[in-house]
Amino acid sequence: MTHAVLSKLFWTDKRLTGDREINAMDFAWSDQQRELLDAVGHFASQQLNYSMIENDRDSVFNHDAWKKCGAFGIQGLLVPAQYGGLGTDPLTAVAALERLAYSCRDNGLLFSINAHMWTAITPLVYSGSEAQKKKYLPGLCGGTLIGGNAMSEPNSGSDAFSLATTAVKKGSKYILNGSKIFVTNGPIADVLVVFATLDKARGPNAISAFLLEKGSPGMNVARKLEKMGLRTSPMAEIFFEDCEVPEENLLGNEGTGASQFSWAMTWERGCILASAVGSMQRSLERCVRYAKERRQFGQPIGKFQLVASKIVDMKLRVESARHMLYHCAWLRGQGKSAYLEAAMTKLHISDCWIKCCEDAIQIHGGYGYMTEYELERELRDAIGSRLYSGTSEMQRNIIASLLL
Amino acid sequence: MKIVVPFKSVRDPNDATVAGAAAASAAKSVINPFDEIAIEEALRIRERGDAAEVVAVTIGAPAVDEQIRAALAMGVDRAIRIDDPRALDPYAVARLLRAVVDKEMPHVLIMGKQAVDDDSNQVGQMLAALLRWPQATFVSKIELLDNKTRARCTRETDGGLEVVAVELPAIITTDLRLNEPRYVSLPGLMKARRRPIEVLTSNELGVAVRPLTTLLSIASPPKRAAGTRVDSVEELIAKLRQEAKVL
Repeated sequence: MTHAVLSKLFWTDKRLTGDREINAMDFAWSDQQRELLDAVGHFASQQLNYSMIENDRDSVFNHDAWKKCGAFGIQGLLVPAQYGGLGTDPLTAVAALERLAYSCRDNGLLFSINAHMWTAITPLVYSGSEAQKKKYLPGLCGGTLIGGNAMSEPNSGSDAFSLATTAVKKGSKYILNGSKIFVTNGPIADVLVVFATLDKARGPNAISAFLLEKGSPGMNVARKLEKMGLRTSPMAEIFFEDCEVPEENLLGNEGTGASQFSWAMTWERGCILASAVGSMQRSLERCVRYAKERRQFGQPIGKFQLVASKIVDMKLRVESARHMLYHCAWLRGQGKSAYLEAAMTKLHISDCWIKCCEDAIQIHGGYGYMTEYELERELRDAIGSRLYSGTSEMQRNIIASLLL
Repeated sequence: MKIVVPFKSVRDPNDATVAGAAAASAAKSVINPFDEIAIEEALRIRERGDAAEVVAVTIGAPAVDEQIRAALAMGVDRAIRIDDPRALDPYAVARLLRAVVDKEMPHVLIMGKQAVDDDSNQVGQMLAALLRWPQATFVSKIELLDNKTRARCTRETDGGLEVVAVELPAIITTDLRLNEPRYVSLPGLMKARRRPIEVLTSNELGVAVRPLTTLLSIASPPKRAAGTRVDSVEELIAKLRQEAKVL
């Protein structure tokens, strides 16, 4: 194919890529992208890193940092400009989230932002009505509103579509009953995307999505859940007792909840660990520095092959994780399916992240185990990545089902 | 009232990247932090309704357009780049800026007290002399008085805080504690891409740039010799007396 024919297939928004077409094998950022990424790094390193250890210990969400990120433009990266977003392509967006995590050490804040972007904003952009988009998106982008998503239930996790929360239409309202667990941003959310079934007998075909505002009558945000890591990202259990939802808050059509969920999950799987890549890069650089400075037996510990080998492993993990992340995002930008790639990306990056965190602690020895070195927190934060957005086992199931 | 803010593009003082950053490897430049404070102050004066226009000026090759866009994204109304890729000495910079002031006729000029790369701390003072304008340097507070004909400036000196009043037009150079600059937002940065940048040359400004100072060399400070461990207080005192000669 000639270049002209080829280029037609590719991303056509020139605002970020300049005059240059992004094509499959061009790994360079455009000047515009580089400028945007540098601005993200500068912003994050100056504005977001404070009270990390205290906030982790006390499970405190950094609301001020959330607002700053909104005003700066993070939450709205992928949202079209007419709804208050930046309208970037997916590749630029994941690179921006990677750079954010490289420069900001609050993994809980980043997790809250990611949950908000991939599980509240994305379904709203995809299936929201014009009125819903106009009502919620500017606030969700600008940092004044916090979004979340309530899917998992005490008895339905990986088997998400077996959910038991019911919705019954009564006049101009839906009445919701049931409970949801592990609701990221639950205690602080202004608007939640809640999944419920109109008729359990009809299985996935009856699942519908609703937009619930904070303080909806009958919605009870019961308790804040304590957890191992990501402690600065609040999580709640939520109960619905004859909870009234106005019919205009149905997201999409009745019975389209399952497809909305699957669609959003593919985005989430492919993109949510952009932050992990930034975090790994930060750990790698720290370990390189430490291995050159720390001396034992008369030489820098980096001269010992067992330490050097760990650093090589870390480098390989960061690079392979980044390539999978970018490739997956690039596919989305081309409008191509990334179902398989998203599952592989999620599976691979979560494993890489946890192993990098373990290696970083090991390289730092006893110091790495100490809270003030902020490496043990990173490991606790990383472990959740094998669980949320679909466990590693579920990702393997998806990959196997597409191969076999 | 019009405010002109000259700024310099410097290597990012916070950039301490090892082993290749996430995606960028080239050294990153930023607006000189003291100048960023000057831009912020000018914007705050405008936002209070005391100024109608803030014009940012810098000198450099097209690469500094990135820092110009950061200034535009912060909120300055117009930007001028004097196209000259050379590292100019303070006198050359002051002369170029005088030509811009003659052209723009601002009521006040606010700039950083110094650039964090060469720490010259001369341009503001030289420019005041060339223009025969009053100057207030190392300023940590600015108040406009008497229908904006004078400015009361608080200066941070070694001896404490000094308050001076200057007739406008005047040069004001900023210290660290004047304000905390806002950060540019991504939408602001995207919009700044579509804003024009006025480019001038020294010829157009009628200035023949001839440096009065020449940079001869740059060297790192000598490495500190390793310390020695002593076994007793007596040995320490002896060494302090005989070797260090401080007792």
